[in-house]
Amino acid sequence: MSTISTTEQPQMQQIDLMKLNLQQLTQLKNQLDQELTIFQDSLQTLKMAKGKFGASKDALEQFKEGDSKKTTLIPLTGSMYVPGRIKDIDNVIIDIGTGYYVEKDRDSAKDYFKRKVDFVSEQIDKIEVLGFEKSQIRDAICEVMTIKIQQLKGSIPAQES
Amino acid sequence: MEAQAAQIQKKLQIELDSFKATQKDYSKMVQQRQLLDGQLNENQNVLEEMNKLNEDKNNVYKLIGPILVKQSLTESKQNVSKRIDFISKELQKCNDRLVSIEKEQDKHRENLTKLQQQLSLLSAMK
Repeated sequence: MSTISTTEQPQMQQIDLMKLNLQQLTQLKNQLDQELTIFQDSLQTLKMAKGKFGASKDALEQFKEGDSKKTTLIPLTGSMYVPGRIKDIDNVIIDIGTGYYVEKDRDSAKDYFKRKVDFVSEQIDKIEVLGFEKSQIRDAICEVMTIKIQQLKGSIPAQES
Repeated sequence: MEAQAAQIQKKLQIELDSFKATQKDYSKMVQQRQLLDGQLNENQNVLEEMNKLNEDKNNVYKLIGPILVKQSLTESKQNVSKRIDFISKELQKCNDRLVSIEKEQDKHRENLTKLQQQLSLLSAMK
């Protein structure tokens, strides 16, 4: 799954950690820190995507039969609206990515957004699990580092005497 | 002796410069691979979505500049598949290039240590 994998194979990792010297540990910690930031960033992006899909789905839920007779305000810019009516309430056009748009009826559009939200949620869960594992390893490394530093501190006066 | 040391120093500098250049190349390639990977993913998602569609029921439009142009589903599918093929090939090229840059980097690293050894040997002989 990942290059620095985890608690599942403790024999490998934990023995290794104690054997590494401080410099290697710092390097490893830095690497993990970097990966964690990447995870954080992707989590944020995914959550934003989830929000967008969810909002589109909610907007669709608002549509009801007979709504085509009511007037709505259509935003022309962020601060200017004109009154209008939705002519065709049963079909919407969805951006499916890479410049392609698809006309769908309401139910399949809802289904589309539901699937997208589920998909993104799944990815979020996956990354959260991975991120948790990595942060655990990071904590372990930090712990070993403090031990090593203490050992180092202890060994210096011992050599002098 | 001095001249020799200077010569090695010079070689070392050249080697170091080219090593740095390969490092730059490497990170550029990694960036490009990320970009391609993202595009591949997006296109695959689009194709997957298109495979769920029905030619009679769903109209497909393509965004060309500021307008939406109607397209047939089969044509769109073909187009996206072609894109996926293309991006996959580019990705493969990118990966090959990364491997070769890595090899180059190793070579430079080796040369660098060798030159450094020579230099320290010379200074020890003084």
